Amino acid sequence: MNASQSWVLVADDTVAAGLVEVGRTLSTEVVAVVAGRRAVAEAVAHAVDRVVWLGEPADVPVEAFAPAVADLVAQAAPLAVIGATTPGGRALLGAVAARLQAPVLSGLGSVELTDGHVVVTRSILGGVSEHRTGVEGGTAVLAVDPRAEVDATGSPVPVEEVAAAPLAGARVVDVKVKEHAGVDLDAAKVVVSVGRGLKAQADVALLESLADAFGGELACSRPLAEGVDWIAKERYIGISGQHIAPDLYVAVGISGQLQHMVGVRDAKVIVAVNSDKAAPIFAQCDYGIVGDLYDVVPALTAALRGTA
Amino acid sequence: MKIVVAYKWAPNPQDAVVGLDGTVDLSRAKPAVSEYDPVAFELARRLADATGAEVIGLTVGAAAIDTPLARKAALSRGLDRLVVVADDALAGADGTRLATVLAAAVTAIGDVDVVLAGDSSIDVAEGQVPLTVAGQLGWLGLSRVSSVVADGEGLTVERDLPAGVAVLAVRTPVVLAATADAVVPKVAGMKDILNAAKKPVEVLALADLAVPTAQVSLTTLATARPAGGERQAAMFDATDPAAAASQLVGALRQAGAL
Repeated sequence: MNASQSWVLVADDTVAAGLVEVGRTLSTEVVAVVAGRRAVAEAVAHAVDRVVWLGEPADVPVEAFAPAVADLVAQAAPLAVIGATTPGGRALLGAVAARLQAPVLSGLGSVELTDGHVVVTRSILGGVSEHRTGVEGGTAVLAVDPRAEVDATGSPVPVEEVAAAPLAGARVVDVKVKEHAGVDLDAAKVVVSVGRGLKAQADVALLESLADAFGGELACSRPLAEGVDWIAKERYIGISGQHIAPDLYVAVGISGQLQHMVGVRDAKVIVAVNSDKAAPIFAQCDYGIVGDLYDVVPALTAALRGTA
Repeated sequence: MKIVVAYKWAPNPQDAVVGLDGTVDLSRAKPAVSEYDPVAFELARRLADATGAEVIGLTVGAAAIDTPLARKAALSRGLDRLVVVADDALAGADGTRLATVLAAAVTAIGDVDVVLAGDSSIDVAEGQVPLTVAGQLGWLGLSRVSSVVADGEGLTVERDLPAGVAVLAVRTPVVLAATADAVVPKVAGMKDILNAAKKPVEVLALADLAVPTAQVSLTTLATARPAGGERQAAMFDATDPAAAASQLVGALRQAGAL
């Protein structure tokens, strides 16, 4: 194994700062293999120590370059291979993992080098537990949030072209830009969420008014989306639903089980309203009101609107 | 044409009991066909009905995944037959290991044109396995597939990507992973469930499959309950709800949260 190198897999996307960062954390030379347009390779060249570019893809999807990427990585046998948690990134990682017969580690917190081994912390099973895991026997294959554009302020290294033959038979014939519709809980600064404390579907309107008064979006815990189907499934926060980090999260009638809270634990401020003073949510919030939501929610809506 | 639907019989971690030390007990979580996999069954059935193809279900895992209930749950969702690799050597196997076994089973089935999978599994929830299967087979692997239709020699595939909906012309063999909402899966009716019992099931022995040896292994050094959950709450008395509400709004304004 070449312990002095990390390879970063770039799938036609300059949003790759998170990948380079992990390579730097491991104190290795960072080599980027770029499947995609030359412009992407040139941008990445500012942030890494070497760039290997596979040639213009034209209308070939980036996924068709996955075997070529795996060939190059297998030859180099680096300490770590770092790919993105994007559709293209996952395809390149899959080919590399198969070639190296190595697991792909996801949900990463920290990444470090301990006695020559890559050691990571990662969340397991959608976030219910955190493991500290050591990689043994070969290359660590890591799936990382690419986070942001690569830093383009450094002086660029030359782009080395290694023309690769993509898998034959696939081409992109059209890309239809979509009009953005639907819920975007990710972008909402305030999210008001309701759980099993709600007694009837008609009462969802109470919470809609509160969300509106906060200038926020309405969300829910699992029972309301999947148990009774009162609120659309894409608004459900929790382990197998949305994971969000708003500035303010208002949990109404939600007990605060781990499976719900993993979806929102990165919120800046959490407010809880619950009639059960022993509910676990009160140990996981910044502000709490013990009370009946049917009293508190209208009062809160009025206070926000200045009509109290 | 032969279509394989690769699916997972998996527990829902929603029902996991997590210890203070982060140990996860899934014994109370009932396994089921993983949440998004019915979308792949439905896509496969529609493609097969349009082309006269055969739909073969494929699942791999520990011995416990092969029960009469598990077989029926899969076979009632529009499959023509089922292939299972159930071996305790696969208990707790990582995604790459499962992918290599799936790929070996696809090879053993033979002449497969399309492998369809769901968006991600309910337990691991990463969406990596279908693409590792593609890597192992040396086939093209495409995720985020929202539509697939036969088109002459090949397929027309639509993908729901951040940049927009990409339309691709694709030749088989190919591995496709669907989006969670590509189609609304048909709910199995009584007739489907009764017919399921008559459909053939083939059990492949893990030892008979050409599965490469894992080269890289993982060691769990420590487990922990996720941190960051504990916060110190300022409490407001709701004896007078209006007063509590205005105190809360005041506190949020002061903290800059509004």
